[in-house]
Amino acid sequence: MAASGSVPHVRVDLSSLSNAPKEKLHLLPVRIECDGAAKVSQYFTPSIRREDESGGVTSSFRGRCLHGLDLDVPEGYIGMVLKEEAKPCAEDEERVVRVKSTFSALTCWNLETPPRPDDSAVKAMNWPTVAEAVHAPV
Amino acid sequence: RCAKKTRAHIKSNMQNALFLSLVLDEASLYLFNSNASQIYEVKAFDENYHSWFIGQSVQSDGRLLFVTPLDPLFLVLPYFLKATEQYWLVDQIMKDEDFPGCSTLLKCPRTLQSVHHIADEKEIGDQKFYKYSQEKTLLWLKKKVKQTVKALKSNNLNVGGGVQSSTFIRSKQAAEVTEEDYLRYAHGLLSDYLPGALSVELLKILGYSYFRKSYKPNINMIIYFPYKSCRKRKLTDKPVEAEEDYTKFNSDSKDKKSSKMTAAQKSLAKVDKSGMKNISAFFAPKNKGPS
Repeated sequence: MAASGSVPHVRVDLSSLSNAPKEKLHLLPVRIECDGAAKVSQYFTPSIRREDESGGVTSSFRGRCLHGLDLDVPEGYIGMVLKEEAKPCAEDEERVVRVKSTFSALTCWNLETPPRPDDSAVKAMNWPTVAEAVHAPV
Repeated sequence: RCAKKTRAHIKSNMQNALFLSLVLDEASLYLFNSNASQIYEVKAFDENYHSWFIGQSVQSDGRLLFVTPLDPLFLVLPYFLKATEQYWLVDQIMKDEDFPGCSTLLKCPRTLQSVHHIADEKEIGDQKFYKYSQEKTLLWLKKKVKQTVKALKSNNLNVGGGVQSSTFIRSKQAAEVTEEDYLRYAHGLLSDYLPGALSVELLKILGYSYFRKSYKPNINMIIYFPYKSCRKRKLTDKPVEAEEDYTKFNSDSKDKKSSKMTAAQKSLAKVDKSGMKNISAFFAPKNKGPS
Protein backbone atom coordinates (compact mmCIF):
# COMPACT_ATOMS: atom_id res chain seq x y z
CA MET A 1 0.00 0.00 0.00
CA ALA A 2 1.36 3.34 -0.99
CA ALA A 3 1.13 6.64 0.79
CA SER A 4 1.47 5.39 4.29
CA GLY A 5 4.96 6.75 3.82
CA SER A 6 7.42 5.44 6.30
CA VAL A 7 4.78 4.64 8.90
CA PRO A 8 5.60 1.05 9.68
CA HIS A 9 2.83 -1.19 8.65
CA VAL A 10 1.99 -4.81 8.78
CA ARG A 11 0.62 -6.59 5.78
CA VAL A 12 -1.91 -9.33 6.25
CA ASP A 13 -1.26 -11.81 3.50
CA LEU A 14 -4.68 -13.07 2.54
CA SER A 15 -3.34 -15.36 -0.16
CA SER A 16 -2.57 -17.72 2.71
CA LEU A 17 -6.25 -17.82 3.59
CA SER A 18 -7.37 -20.49 1.13
CA ASN A 19 -4.93 -23.11 2.42
CA ALA A 20 -5.44 -22.32 6.06
CA PRO A 21 -6.88 -25.23 8.05
CA LYS A 22 -9.82 -24.86 10.39
CA GLU A 23 -9.03 -25.10 14.07
CA LYS A 24 -11.01 -25.39 17.29
CA LEU A 25 -10.66 -22.37 19.54
CA HIS A 26 -11.21 -22.19 23.27
CA LEU A 27 -11.14 -18.91 25.14
CA LEU A 28 -10.09 -19.81 28.67
CA PRO A 29 -10.79 -17.73 31.77
CA VAL A 30 -7.21 -18.06 32.96
CA ARG A 31 -3.92 -16.57 31.99
CA ILE A 32 -1.53 -19.25 30.80
CA GLU A 33 1.97 -17.88 30.64
CA CYS A 34 3.00 -20.03 27.78
CA ASP A 35 2.96 -20.01 24.00
CA GLY A 36 3.43 -23.13 22.02
CA ALA A 37 2.30 -26.68 21.55
CA ALA A 38 -0.16 -28.13 24.05
CA LYS A 39 -1.85 -31.49 24.22
CA VAL A 40 -5.30 -30.00 24.00
CA SER A 41 -7.01 -32.97 22.39
CA GLN A 42 -5.37 -35.35 24.83
CA TYR A 43 -6.08 -33.60 28.10
CA PHE A 44 -8.71 -30.89 27.58
CA THR A 45 -11.11 -31.94 24.83
CA PRO A 46 -11.99 -35.35 26.36
CA SER A 47 -13.36 -33.68 29.49
CA ILE A 48 -15.86 -31.57 27.56
CA ARG A 49 -19.46 -32.57 28.24
CA ARG A 50 -22.39 -31.17 26.33
CA GLU A 51 -24.98 -30.05 28.86
CA ASP A 52 -27.99 -29.22 26.78
CA GLU A 53 -29.02 -28.13 23.32
CA SER A 54 -28.47 -24.44 23.97
CA GLY A 55 -24.76 -24.83 23.35
CA GLY A 56 -23.80 -25.07 27.03
CA VAL A 57 -20.82 -27.26 27.81
CA THR A 58 -18.78 -28.13 30.86
CA SER A 59 -15.21 -29.18 31.24
CA SER A 60 -12.41 -29.01 33.72
CA PHE A 61 -8.99 -27.49 33.63
CA ARG A 62 -6.37 -28.10 36.32
CA GLY A 63 -9.06 -29.49 38.58
CA ARG A 64 -11.37 -26.50 38.22
CA CYS A 65 -14.82 -26.83 36.72
CA LEU A 66 -15.41 -24.74 33.63
CA HIS A 67 -18.68 -23.76 32.02
CA GLY A 68 -18.59 -22.98 28.36
CA LEU A 69 -20.71 -21.67 25.55
CA ASP A 70 -20.21 -22.10 21.82
CA LEU A 71 -20.17 -18.75 20.06
CA ASP A 72 -20.45 -18.42 16.32
CA VAL A 73 -18.35 -15.91 14.48
CA PRO A 74 -20.81 -13.16 13.46
CA GLU A 75 -22.51 -13.64 10.13
CA GLY A 76 -20.55 -12.26 7.20
CA TYR A 77 -17.28 -12.55 9.10
CA ILE A 78 -14.59 -15.15 9.28
CA GLY A 79 -12.28 -15.89 12.14
CA MET A 80 -8.59 -15.96 11.39
CA VAL A 81 -5.55 -16.80 13.44
CA LEU A 82 -2.71 -14.63 12.22
CA LYS A 83 0.93 -15.33 12.71
CA GLU A 84 4.07 -13.46 11.89
CA GLU A 85 6.49 -16.07 10.68
CA ALA A 86 9.64 -14.04 10.38
CA LYS A 87 10.72 -10.89 12.10
CA PRO A 88 11.93 -8.24 9.70
CA CYS A 89 15.67 -7.67 9.66
CA ALA A 90 15.58 -3.94 9.11
CA GLU A 91 13.54 -1.29 10.89
CA ASP A 92 11.68 -0.06 7.86
CA GLU A 93 11.08 -3.47 6.41
CA GLU A 94 7.50 -4.43 5.87
CA ARG A 95 6.12 -6.94 8.31
CA VAL A 96 3.94 -9.72 7.06
CA VAL A 97 1.47 -11.81 8.97
CA ARG A 98 -0.08 -14.87 7.42
CA VAL A 99 -3.30 -16.67 8.07
CA LYS A 100 -2.34 -19.69 10.14
CA SER A 101 -5.81 -21.09 10.54
CA THR A 102 -9.45 -20.09 10.44
CA PHE A 103 -12.43 -20.62 12.69
CA SER A 104 -16.17 -20.16 12.40
CA ALA A 105 -16.95 -20.65 16.07
CA LEU A 106 -15.19 -20.57 19.38
CA THR A 107 -15.97 -21.87 22.83
CA CYS A 108 -15.93 -19.29 25.55
CA TRP A 109 -15.25 -20.68 29.04
CA ASN A 110 -16.12 -19.28 32.44
CA LEU A 111 -15.24 -20.37 35.92
CA GLU A 112 -18.20 -21.24 38.13
CA THR A 113 -21.10 -19.77 36.12
CA PRO A 114 -22.07 -20.53 32.53
CA PRO A 115 -21.43 -17.64 30.12
CA ARG A 116 -24.48 -15.41 30.00
CA PRO A 117 -25.64 -12.95 27.38
CA ASP A 118 -24.19 -10.07 29.37
CA ASP A 119 -20.72 -11.57 29.63
CA SER A 120 -18.34 -9.35 27.77
CA ALA A 121 -17.09 -12.07 25.43
CA VAL A 122 -20.64 -12.92 24.44
CA LYS A 123 -21.51 -9.25 24.05
CA ALA A 124 -18.42 -8.59 22.00
CA MET A 125 -19.84 -10.79 19.27
CA ASN A 126 -22.49 -8.12 18.70
CA TRP A 127 -19.92 -5.47 18.00
CA PRO A 128 -19.80 -6.01 14.19
CA THR A 129 -23.56 -5.44 13.95
CA VAL A 130 -23.31 -2.25 15.95
CA ALA A 131 -20.22 -1.05 14.13
CA GLU A 132 -21.84 -1.55 10.76
CA ALA A 133 -24.78 0.60 11.78
CA VAL A 134 -22.49 3.35 13.04
CA HIS A 135 -20.26 3.33 9.98
CA ALA A 136 -22.67 2.67 7.12
CA PRO A 137 -23.17 5.61 4.78
CA VAL A 138 -26.30 7.62 5.52
CA ARG B 1 8.85 -17.25 19.97
CA CYS B 2 8.41 -13.67 18.93
CA ALA B 3 5.64 -14.41 16.52
CA LYS B 4 2.79 -12.02 16.89
CA LYS B 5 -0.36 -13.99 16.84
CA THR B 6 -3.72 -12.43 16.75
CA ARG B 7 -7.17 -13.42 15.86
CA ALA B 8 -9.18 -11.26 13.63
CA HIS B 9 -12.61 -11.23 12.22
CA ILE B 10 -12.49 -9.95 8.74
CA LYS B 11 -15.46 -9.48 6.54
CA SER B 12 -15.60 -12.34 4.18
CA ASN B 13 -16.11 -10.15 1.14
CA MET B 14 -12.55 -9.07 1.69
CA GLN B 15 -11.32 -12.34 0.38
CA ASN B 16 -11.00 -11.01 -3.13
CA ALA B 17 -8.51 -8.45 -1.95
CA LEU B 18 -5.04 -9.80 -2.23
CA PHE B 19 -3.83 -8.38 0.97
CA LEU B 20 -4.73 -6.01 3.70
CA SER B 21 -2.44 -3.56 5.28
CA LEU B 22 -2.51 -3.15 8.95
CA VAL B 23 -1.29 0.37 9.39
CA LEU B 24 0.36 0.86 12.68
CA ASP B 25 1.14 4.22 14.02
CA GLU B 26 1.47 4.79 17.68
CA ALA B 27 -1.99 6.21 18.07
CA SER B 28 -4.30 3.91 16.29
CA LEU B 29 -4.63 0.81 14.26
CA TYR B 30 -6.44 0.77 10.98
CA LEU B 31 -6.58 -1.62 8.18
CA PHE B 32 -6.81 -0.75 4.52
CA ASN B 33 -7.54 -3.19 1.78
CA SER B 34 -5.06 -3.35 -1.05
CA ASN B 35 -6.18 -0.26 -2.93
CA ALA B 36 -7.35 1.64 0.15
CA SER B 37 -10.91 1.49 -1.15
CA GLN B 38 -12.22 0.58 2.28
CA ILE B 39 -10.86 1.42 5.67
CA TYR B 40 -11.39 -0.83 8.65
CA GLU B 41 -11.16 -0.23 12.31
CA VAL B 42 -9.46 -2.73 14.55
CA LYS B 43 -10.82 -3.22 18.03
CA ALA B 44 -9.70 -5.75 20.54
CA PHE B 45 -11.79 -7.67 22.98
CA ASP B 46 -9.38 -7.82 25.83
CA GLU B 47 -10.12 -9.09 29.26
CA ASN B 48 -7.67 -9.86 31.99
CA TYR B 49 -6.76 -13.42 32.63
CA HIS B 50 -7.71 -14.95 29.34
CA SER B 51 -5.72 -17.19 27.07
CA TRP B 52 -6.45 -19.32 24.04
CA PHE B 53 -6.28 -22.91 23.05
CA ILE B 54 -5.89 -22.83 19.29
CA GLY B 55 -5.94 -26.30 17.86
CA GLN B 56 -3.14 -28.13 19.60
CA SER B 57 -1.43 -25.07 20.95
CA VAL B 58 -1.74 -22.57 23.74
CA GLN B 59 -1.57 -18.82 23.25
CA SER B 60 -1.12 -16.62 26.31
CA ASP B 61 -2.49 -13.48 24.65
CA GLY B 62 -6.23 -13.84 25.12
CA ARG B 63 -7.24 -10.99 22.86
CA LEU B 64 -9.73 -11.22 20.06
CA LEU B 65 -9.51 -8.56 17.37
CA PHE B 66 -12.53 -7.34 15.48
CA VAL B 67 -12.02 -5.77 12.09
CA THR B 68 -15.04 -3.79 10.99
CA PRO B 69 -15.65 -1.21 8.26
CA LEU B 70 -14.98 2.37 9.27
CA ASP B 71 -16.64 5.48 7.87
CA PRO B 72 -13.67 7.49 6.59
CA LEU B 73 -15.52 10.73 7.28
CA PHE B 74 -14.82 10.28 10.98
CA LEU B 75 -11.13 10.33 10.21
CA VAL B 76 -11.16 13.36 7.92
CA LEU B 77 -13.49 15.31 10.20
CA PRO B 78 -10.72 16.55 12.52
CA TYR B 79 -8.98 18.07 9.51
CA PHE B 80 -12.13 19.63 8.10
CA LEU B 81 -12.97 21.18 11.46
CA LYS B 82 -10.13 23.59 10.80
CA ALA B 83 -11.29 24.44 7.28
CA THR B 84 -13.38 27.42 8.29
CA GLU B 85 -13.61 31.03 7.13
CA GLN B 86 -12.73 30.32 3.55
CA TYR B 87 -12.95 27.56 0.98
CA TRP B 88 -10.00 25.24 0.65
CA LEU B 89 -8.79 22.60 -1.74
CA VAL B 90 -9.11 19.18 -0.24
CA ASP B 91 -5.35 18.70 -0.49
CA GLN B 92 -4.86 21.83 1.58
CA ILE B 93 -7.22 20.53 4.23
CA MET B 94 -5.82 17.05 4.38
CA LYS B 95 -2.30 18.14 5.09
CA ASP B 96 -0.52 16.97 8.16
CA GLU B 97 3.20 17.35 8.38
CA ASP B 98 3.26 15.02 11.31
CA PHE B 99 1.30 12.37 9.53
CA PRO B 100 1.78 12.40 5.76
CA GLY B 101 -0.18 9.17 5.57
CA CYS B 102 -3.39 11.06 6.21
CA SER B 103 -3.79 11.76 2.49
CA THR B 104 -4.32 8.02 2.02
CA LEU B 105 -7.81 8.67 3.33
CA LEU B 106 -8.56 10.53 0.11
CA LYS B 107 -7.88 7.41 -1.88
CA CYS B 108 -10.89 5.80 -0.38
CA PRO B 109 -13.62 6.76 -2.87
CA ARG B 110 -16.15 6.96 -0.09
CA THR B 111 -14.31 9.90 1.45
CA LEU B 112 -14.83 12.36 -1.39
CA GLN B 113 -18.24 10.96 -2.21
CA SER B 114 -19.50 11.72 1.25
CA VAL B 115 -17.52 14.80 2.22
CA HIS B 116 -20.53 16.96 1.29
CA HIS B 117 -22.05 15.74 4.55
CA ILE B 118 -19.59 17.83 6.55
CA ALA B 119 -18.62 20.68 4.24
CA ASP B 120 -19.98 23.23 1.79
CA GLU B 121 -18.69 22.69 -1.69
CA LYS B 122 -17.78 25.21 -4.34
CA GLU B 123 -16.68 24.35 -7.81
CA ILE B 124 -14.41 26.77 -9.60
CA GLY B 125 -13.23 25.62 -12.97
CA ASP B 126 -12.49 21.96 -12.55
CA GLN B 127 -11.46 22.33 -8.96
CA LYS B 128 -13.56 21.76 -5.90
CA PHE B 129 -13.21 23.81 -2.75
CA TYR B 130 -14.56 22.98 0.68
CA LYS B 131 -15.51 24.77 3.85
CA TYR B 132 -16.52 23.03 7.06
CA SER B 133 -20.19 23.25 7.92
CA GLN B 134 -21.24 22.39 11.45
CA GLU B 135 -24.88 22.55 10.44
CA LYS B 136 -24.39 19.89 7.77
CA THR B 137 -22.20 17.82 10.04
CA LEU B 138 -24.82 17.75 12.77
CA LEU B 139 -27.48 16.80 10.27
CA TRP B 140 -25.27 13.98 9.06
CA LEU B 141 -24.64 12.82 12.60
CA LYS B 142 -28.32 12.96 13.41
CA LYS B 143 -28.99 10.62 10.49
CA LYS B 144 -26.26 8.35 11.83
CA VAL B 145 -27.92 8.26 15.22
CA LYS B 146 -31.25 7.32 13.61
CA GLN B 147 -29.58 4.61 11.56
CA THR B 148 -27.83 3.22 14.62
CA VAL B 149 -31.01 3.24 16.70
CA LYS B 150 -32.78 1.35 13.95
CA ALA B 151 -30.10 -1.33 13.91
CA LEU B 152 -30.05 -1.63 17.69
CA LYS B 153 -33.80 -2.13 17.69
CA SER B 154 -33.98 -4.54 14.80
CA ASN B 155 -31.22 -6.71 16.23
CA ASN B 156 -32.83 -6.62 19.62
CA LEU B 157 -29.68 -5.32 21.23
CA ASN B 158 -30.37 -4.13 24.70
CA VAL B 159 -29.29 -0.62 25.36
CA GLY B 160 -29.83 -1.18 29.05
CA GLY B 161 -32.34 1.13 30.76
CA GLY B 162 -29.87 3.95 31.09
CA VAL B 163 -27.48 3.83 33.94
CA GLN B 164 -26.39 0.69 35.61
CA SER B 165 -27.53 -2.02 33.30
CA SER B 166 -24.85 -3.43 31.10
CA THR B 167 -25.00 -2.83 27.42
CA PHE B 168 -25.02 -5.12 24.46
CA ILE B 169 -27.34 -7.60 26.07
CA ARG B 170 -29.85 -9.41 24.05
CA SER B 171 -32.85 -9.24 26.22
CA LYS B 172 -36.55 -9.64 26.12
CA GLN B 173 -37.18 -6.69 28.39
CA ALA B 174 -37.08 -4.37 25.41
CA ALA B 175 -40.47 -2.98 26.34
CA GLU B 176 -38.95 -1.19 29.30
CA VAL B 177 -36.37 0.56 27.18
CA THR B 178 -37.34 4.04 26.13
CA GLU B 179 -36.61 5.87 22.91
CA GLU B 180 -34.30 8.12 24.89
CA ASP B 181 -32.24 5.11 25.98
CA TYR B 182 -31.74 4.16 22.37
CA LEU B 183 -30.86 7.69 21.31
CA ARG B 184 -28.42 8.19 24.13
CA TYR B 185 -26.82 4.86 23.52
CA ALA B 186 -26.39 5.57 19.80
CA HIS B 187 -25.10 9.02 20.68
CA GLY B 188 -22.54 7.42 22.97
CA LEU B 189 -21.38 5.06 20.24
CA LEU B 190 -20.95 7.94 17.78
CA SER B 191 -19.24 10.14 20.33
CA ASP B 192 -16.34 7.71 20.26
CA TYR B 193 -15.45 9.22 16.94
CA LEU B 194 -16.18 12.86 17.66
CA PRO B 195 -14.46 15.73 19.39
CA GLY B 196 -16.18 16.56 22.67
CA ALA B 197 -17.73 19.84 21.55
CA LEU B 198 -19.42 18.21 18.58
CA SER B 199 -20.68 15.40 20.75
CA VAL B 200 -22.35 17.96 23.02
CA GLU B 201 -23.90 19.77 20.06
CA LEU B 202 -25.22 16.50 18.70
CA LEU B 203 -26.93 15.67 21.95
CA LYS B 204 -28.47 19.14 21.94
CA ILE B 205 -30.05 18.72 18.53
CA LEU B 206 -31.32 15.34 19.64
CA GLY B 207 -33.11 17.29 22.33
CA TYR B 208 -31.32 16.06 25.45
CA SER B 209 -29.24 17.67 28.08
CA TYR B 210 -25.82 16.39 28.80
CA PHE B 211 -26.25 15.66 32.43
CA ARG B 212 -27.98 12.39 32.58
CA LYS B 213 -25.57 9.56 32.73
CA SER B 214 -25.67 8.15 29.27
CA TYR B 215 -24.36 5.03 27.62
CA LYS B 216 -22.20 3.31 30.12
CA PRO B 217 -20.79 0.38 28.28
CA ASN B 218 -19.88 -2.53 30.37
CA ILE B 219 -18.04 -4.16 27.58
CA ASN B 220 -14.42 -4.68 28.15
CA MET B 221 -13.19 -3.68 24.76
CA ILE B 222 -10.09 -1.81 23.99
CA ILE B 223 -10.36 0.68 21.22
CA TYR B 224 -7.79 1.72 18.77
CA PHE B 225 -9.29 5.10 18.94
CA PRO B 226 -9.22 7.30 15.91
CA TYR B 227 -9.84 10.80 17.06
CA LYS B 228 -8.85 11.50 20.60
CA SER B 229 -5.63 9.65 20.56
CA CYS B 230 -4.66 11.57 17.44
CA ARG B 231 -5.02 14.74 19.37
CA LYS B 232 -3.26 13.55 22.43
CA ARG B 233 -0.39 12.05 20.64
CA LYS B 234 1.11 13.60 17.62
CA LEU B 235 1.18 11.25 14.75
CA THR B 236 4.53 10.90 13.23
CA ASP B 237 6.16 8.88 10.57
CA LYS B 238 9.43 8.74 12.42
CA PRO B 239 10.31 6.06 14.87
CA VAL B 240 9.26 7.32 18.23
CA GLU B 241 11.04 6.90 21.50
CA ALA B 242 8.73 5.58 24.13
CA GLU B 243 8.13 7.93 27.02
CA GLU B 244 7.68 4.98 29.28
CA ASP B 245 9.00 1.52 28.89
CA TYR B 246 5.85 0.05 27.46
CA THR B 247 7.77 -2.97 26.38
CA LYS B 248 7.72 -4.32 29.88
CA PHE B 249 4.07 -5.11 29.33
CA ASN B 250 4.82 -6.80 26.11
CA SER B 251 5.22 -10.44 26.71
CA ASP B 252 7.14 -10.95 23.52
CA SER B 253 9.84 -8.46 24.15
CA LYS B 254 11.97 -10.55 26.41
CA ASP B 255 15.12 -8.66 25.55
CA LYS B 256 14.47 -5.37 27.16
CA LYS B 257 17.59 -3.66 25.95
CA SER B 258 15.15 -1.68 23.93
CA SER B 259 17.70 0.01 21.71
CA LYS B 260 17.66 -3.20 19.75
CA MET B 261 14.00 -2.85 18.97
CA THR B 262 12.95 -2.11 15.47
CA ALA B 263 10.77 0.87 14.66
CA ALA B 264 7.95 -1.49 14.00
CA GLN B 265 8.34 -3.10 17.38
CA LYS B 266 8.39 0.27 19.02
CA SER B 267 5.24 1.20 17.27
CA LEU B 268 3.68 -2.04 18.23
CA ALA B 269 4.60 -1.54 21.82
CA LYS B 270 3.02 1.88 21.69
CA VAL B 271 -0.05 0.71 19.90
CA ASP B 272 -0.46 -1.93 22.49
CA LYS B 273 -0.47 0.38 25.41
CA SER B 274 -1.02 3.99 24.48
CA GLY B 275 -3.43 4.11 21.61
CA MET B 276 -5.74 1.66 23.18
CA LYS B 277 -8.05 2.47 25.95
CA ASN B 278 -10.66 0.68 27.79
CA ILE B 279 -13.91 1.69 26.20
CA SER B 280 -15.34 2.86 29.51
CA ALA B 281 -12.53 5.35 29.87
CA PHE B 282 -14.03 7.44 27.12
CA PHE B 283 -17.26 7.97 28.85
CA ALA B 284 -16.26 8.76 32.35
CA PRO B 285 -15.41 12.43 31.77
CA LYS B 286 -18.41 13.07 29.58
CA ASN B 287 -20.77 12.40 32.39
CA LYS B 288 -19.61 15.58 33.98
CA GLY B 289 -21.14 17.52 31.17
CA PRO B 290 -19.65 20.21 28.96
CA SER B 291 -16.94 22.28 30.45
